[in-house]
Amino acid sequence: MNPKDVSEEITRRHFFGECGVGVGKIALASLLADSALPQAASAQVQNPLAPKAPHFKPKAKRVIHLFMAGAPSQLDLFDYKPTLTQYEGKPIPPSVIMGQRYAFIRPDAACLGPRFKFAKHGQSGAEISEVMPHLAKVVDDICIIKSVKTDQFNHAPAQILLNTGFSQPGRPSMGSWVSYGLGAETKDLPGFVVMSTGSGISGGAANWSSGFLPTLYSGVRFRNQGDPILDVTSPNGVDSRLQKDSLELISALNHKRLEVAKDPEIASRISAYEMAYRLQTSAPELMDLKSESKATLEMYGADPDKPSFARACILARRMIERGVRFVNIYHEGWDGHSDVAGNLRGNCGATDKACAALIQDLKQRGLLEDTLVIWGGEFGRTPMIESNPTRGTSLGRDHHPQAYTMWMAGGGIKPGLTYGKTDDLGFNIVENLVHVHDIQATVLHLLGLNHERLTYRYAGRDFRLTDVHGHVVKDILA
Amino acid sequence: MRVLFPLFTAVALLMVGRAEAQAPDYTKEVRPILSQHCFKCHGPDEKQRQAGLRLDNYKSASALLATSHRALIARKPQQSELVKRIFTSGSSIMPPLTANKPLSDAQKRILQRWIAAGAEYKPHWAFIAPKQVALPTVKQTKWVRNPIDNFILSSLEKTGLTPSPSADKATLLRRVSLDLIGLPPTPEDTEAFLKDKRPDAYERLVDRLLASPHYGERWARRWLDLARYADTNGYEKDRTRPIWLYRDWVINALNRDMPFNKFTIEQLAGDMLPNATLDQKIATGLHRNTMLNEEGGIDPLEYRFYAMTDRLATTGTTWLGLTTGCAQCHSHKFDPITQKEYYQMMAFLNNADEPEMEVLRPELMVKRQEIQGQIDLRTINLKQKFPAKASLNAVDNLYLKLTEWLGQVESKAVHWTTLKPSKATSNSPLLTVQPDNSVLSSGDITKQDTYTLTYPTGGRAITAVRLECLPDDSLPKGGPGRVFYEGSFGDFLLSELTLLNGGTPVKFSTAYTDNGGNPKQAIDDSPQSFWSSNGVRGKAVTAVFVLDKPLSTDVFTLKMLFEFYYPSALGRFRISITSDSKISDTVLPAEVDEMLVIPADQRTVPQRTVLLNYYLSIAPELAKEREEIKKLRDQLPEIPSTLVFKERPSNNTRPTYIHKRGEFLQPTERVEPSTLAVLNPFPTGIPRNRLTFAQWIVSPQNPLVGRVAVNRQWAALFGKGIVTTLDDFGYQGQLPSHPELLDWLAIEFEKKNWSLKQLHRLILTSATYRQTAVVPSSAKAKDPVNRLLSYFPRTRMEAELIRDNALTVCGLLSRKMGGPSVFPPQKPSITTEGTFGALQWTVSSGEDRYRRGLYTFSKRTAPYAIFTTFDAPSGEACVARREVSNTPLQALTLLNNEVFLEAAQTLGKSMLLQKGTLEERITALFRRCLTRNPDNDELRLLKVYFETQKQRFDNKELDAKLIAGVGEGDLNERAAWTALSRALLNLDEFVTKQ
Repeated sequence: MNPKDVSEEITRRHFFGECGVGVGKIALASLLADSALPQAASAQVQNPLAPKAPHFKPKAKRVIHLFMAGAPSQLDLFDYKPTLTQYEGKPIPPSVIMGQRYAFIRPDAACLGPRFKFAKHGQSGAEISEVMPHLAKVVDDICIIKSVKTDQFNHAPAQILLNTGFSQPGRPSMGSWVSYGLGAETKDLPGFVVMSTGSGISGGAANWSSGFLPTLYSGVRFRNQGDPILDVTSPNGVDSRLQKDSLELISALNHKRLEVAKDPEIASRISAYEMAYRLQTSAPELMDLKSESKATLEMYGADPDKPSFARACILARRMIERGVRFVNIYHEGWDGHSDVAGNLRGNCGATDKACAALIQDLKQRGLLEDTLVIWGGEFGRTPMIESNPTRGTSLGRDHHPQAYTMWMAGGGIKPGLTYGKTDDLGFNIVENLVHVHDIQATVLHLLGLNHERLTYRYAGRDFRLTDVHGHVVKDILA
Repeated sequence: MRVLFPLFTAVALLMVGRAEAQAPDYTKEVRPILSQHCFKCHGPDEKQRQAGLRLDNYKSASALLATSHRALIARKPQQSELVKRIFTSGSSIMPPLTANKPLSDAQKRILQRWIAAGAEYKPHWAFIAPKQVALPTVKQTKWVRNPIDNFILSSLEKTGLTPSPSADKATLLRRVSLDLIGLPPTPEDTEAFLKDKRPDAYERLVDRLLASPHYGERWARRWLDLARYADTNGYEKDRTRPIWLYRDWVINALNRDMPFNKFTIEQLAGDMLPNATLDQKIATGLHRNTMLNEEGGIDPLEYRFYAMTDRLATTGTTWLGLTTGCAQCHSHKFDPITQKEYYQMMAFLNNADEPEMEVLRPELMVKRQEIQGQIDLRTINLKQKFPAKASLNAVDNLYLKLTEWLGQVESKAVHWTTLKPSKATSNSPLLTVQPDNSVLSSGDITKQDTYTLTYPTGGRAITAVRLECLPDDSLPKGGPGRVFYEGSFGDFLLSELTLLNGGTPVKFSTAYTDNGGNPKQAIDDSPQSFWSSNGVRGKAVTAVFVLDKPLSTDVFTLKMLFEFYYPSALGRFRISITSDSKISDTVLPAEVDEMLVIPADQRTVPQRTVLLNYYLSIAPELAKEREEIKKLRDQLPEIPSTLVFKERPSNNTRPTYIHKRGEFLQPTERVEPSTLAVLNPFPTGIPRNRLTFAQWIVSPQNPLVGRVAVNRQWAALFGKGIVTTLDDFGYQGQLPSHPELLDWLAIEFEKKNWSLKQLHRLILTSATYRQTAVVPSSAKAKDPVNRLLSYFPRTRMEAELIRDNALTVCGLLSRKMGGPSVFPPQKPSITTEGTFGALQWTVSSGEDRYRRGLYTFSKRTAPYAIFTTFDAPSGEACVARREVSNTPLQALTLLNNEVFLEAAQTLGKSMLLQKGTLEERITALFRRCLTRNPDNDELRLLKVYFETQKQRFDNKELDAKLIAGVGEGDLNERAAWTALSRALLNLDEFVTKQ
């Protein structure tokens, strides 16, 4: 077939019926083979997001990261410290504080005891506070890590550190690294999706940026208002036929250009338009919760038409069912500088049921075993009270980077385990320190990626998610 | 396995004999292997060095090791430990298996042959000054238009490739327009150029575009990527910052073709030039583009340190093409940059204060003076406006009221004596005693600052202390405080004021102020409460602190504590004391108080005038008149400001330390300014500061600066640099494809007075640049990625230019230049939903809706979405080369985004005015979008599409109103043209320079 025939053939064809991924690719391939395209060119046409083999056999195929931005108080949710009640009103000795800098309080602030009652749950006997009654029911499916440590005591840098391995914006996020390392399992949806259900995210777009990796590895925002993906809806008045006719014309003219210029980038653009068209169908289908049973909606506590954390959790499940690799749900609002108890009641009310439902739902669908769920904030909160009439705060807790709690579930994580320990005041870690770089190394490990080998050359250096740190936390692997 | 080694040795020895004659090229073949596989552990970084072995120079590499081996011995590969270790299959193999960087057999043989040939080390090419070599001779001399072509053609001929012919005129016109001004040619431009048959028509075109003011706009955007320009501070709060004047400075400098050396010096150290102009100061905004974290409770000095590391990385990338940032935490693993050198270089840049400077240009000054004149006049005339009262005329009434008022306040006046501190110290900021005995604070402030001042009393007894907080031009918003982020700029928060007599605190009983605040909170022993400026800016506020019991002392100490979750120290203040026994709770301005204590009959005329004027400023009878004056004052046009560098005074230089592991909290050895040993030496006998550092960077001896600058221009035009790693000319960077061309251009650049316009002209008028963008079949095997440029490389346009182009072809683009950033249409949720520092994106009205992309407000945490989709950077780090991706989200943007739909609708509207047959009209539209004419096939496809859609609109299958938007004329036709235009704006060719 000479190039001209191909072009006519393509114009004649029904663009999306025959010329989509299947036949379209074949036609394109033959076009490339027949033309004087350089050898390397045909390789470049391939989708850079095509699935790639991991370094070793993975336990998890996908990740749902529930980012509790603003930093939940581990001392009132997971890390029960009755001693703090005894010390209420007294400062923590400077020998414990060791010069740690704080955002708002003075280091000599007095202790504040746990704000809620705690009880042991499940066979594992994990301790959970009364404000998370739903999570308490699934403790045997999750692994609670009470000994997470970070280096940053301010929100934006700490969030960015947890997501990118570095505290200043500009490096690729975890989801971007994973997309780069493993490619995408779906051609109809983005491989890395970001949702937000709370108040504003301190770290901003740097949290899901691809940094110096190519932009196509960036997290794609699914929005609560308007189009779920920006511009995924055709302009008002453009019906499907007009959209299709337009895309056919664009494709035909692009093919003609390809014939003349023989630039493989044109072929890439043709296939990008094909995927764009598929996104226009798959995104609304994904967002439409009609097919979800009433029982499911109730289990999550979701109103199908109202944006909420619960709805985002259902969407996350639907996304991973459709091949999305990495889902971030940000729920910001845990920054309890004042009335930490009220803050927790509010945020747990908005998230606890859905978190537990997500675990149960994934489990009943057989997805939990190869889906990793991560829950946690960017740092913890102080054992000391934050109370400052000038700032209008009372009975709050400040930022605490030395020790906090996260939990993980599914995807190769040991269920029913409580890992790590802090001292009696919950100030420092005394057993099994897990640095946020270790969390990153472990996430990559579960996905079959060696965090020291997943590198990208930029500015003369081979960069990693874990910078020059990180150890896989073997103890928590199933 | 034991037998293998002798066997290998024999083979190796055989091979050595053969290899002697053809030693591998160190730079091209040997060095990349060593750098990639060995230097990480055996390179310049002394901390990571294993077995004491350093392989990046002969002396170290051939030294006797602790193991009594030598890694390499010239001409004796069989005795060189390196060769043994790379060929062994045992556990001692190098690189070790754990490094996961095995050498291929070919690589091993290269190292072996190199040692056999004498193990000659050559200095890294980029560290040797460039030289212009004689132009290479070529066969196809007719093709050559200028010296660039000699170099390009010579490589092509050596490879057996032929260059491509010149592209047709329309293609060239479009290419040159996009490259020089970033906008496509108008239909009139196209017609004129196609008709211009003069032999130098092309050169004239280039010159015309070089002179266009849009040239500066197009090239400024690339520079702003390096400068990490953005309109917000970044991080959590991400508030707006004033820096657009710097952006405009770059545009203007490029339009004026400011020589690159001057362009460099002004941006790095414009403030330090003798008699620095306003513009030279504005230029220093370059290094104020660093991010500022305004999150509550941060440590400001920590983020200043991060900003410093960013400045160093940016300077390294932009001018030296070196990844200096690598040496922040440890000595560079690949390039000869030690950690100490890194901090020594930082020391040059580390001595600036970072104020916001008001920019009052003459035009604005005139406008302000018009109004100020009215204000002054009305103020002078205030006394004439005083109302008459029944039996009294205005003058008498005023006199009466003034006398009454004096009667009230004279009894409240206090005899204050201003004291001069004998000592003024603090934890960090510098306190300087001014001639008027006030104290001015400058330098770095923190979240907890303490001022300690010693005041001799001259033997006076003290009953109260007066604190005047004074304005100063050096302070944010004129002071009196120093708050510069998070809080209200220019505020202060005085947490505690303590008076010590011989080390013992003296009790205050109460405190009064004239600013409505509560100064008692500064004497309540609680550092959490404070007295603040209470919103007063650019004027004095005063507090009086009354002692519980009178104090008699020759000297006392005053401590002021400013403690909050952001720095909040006072900027300028003055202390007075009194021995009066009665202290009124009415605090009067110091200058009024001073007049009042003079007995009425002894006051001079000027003294009385002070009192009269003050009275006029408070008299209730004049409230309305003063309101009018205030209204006028509100009308004064705002003076724009911009962030700048200002070198610190020599008595308050900022020390620079090496930071262990690059961490802010781990400063170790103090260092002095110095440059990299591997580059041109720093001149002796001159001061070492930011200015001399900038001059050193652009000195002709610097082997890097010219090459790096020229290479970036080349990359902008050809998609790739001669060195593809634009940001890395070090050992890990790629070698130049045409080293001699790069050097020739670098020298030429310098010879032509560092003129970017001349450099652009030179490249654009070469035959190399004018080639067609069609991939020739010959390139397929011999040069698949077109490193040798046997054809012109097609490249997708930059994000901003894609929108600029759509706006240009439809005629909506505003050509207005400069000014504050604007807000073109986008969904409001982009800057609000899930964004902490939410910004209400109010779409600009009028022509500001259609300004060029580089004027779009750039918010770091939520950038303008269209631009992000097309790979624009967020301004968070220096970017020398943008990624060019090709994604479905880009397709969705061009297909469905309102900006592009509006462009299509506008084109559709304009088509109603286009005369001719359908074919002619389609051709005109096509040409408007793509500069060229459609071929017959294309025309047929477009026509079928148009007719199909037109029919669907006519049949009411589609609602034409929705598609066509607002406008006049035949609705269905307009809608069909809109649909066709929309398709054209989506073509690969529309977003591509070819």
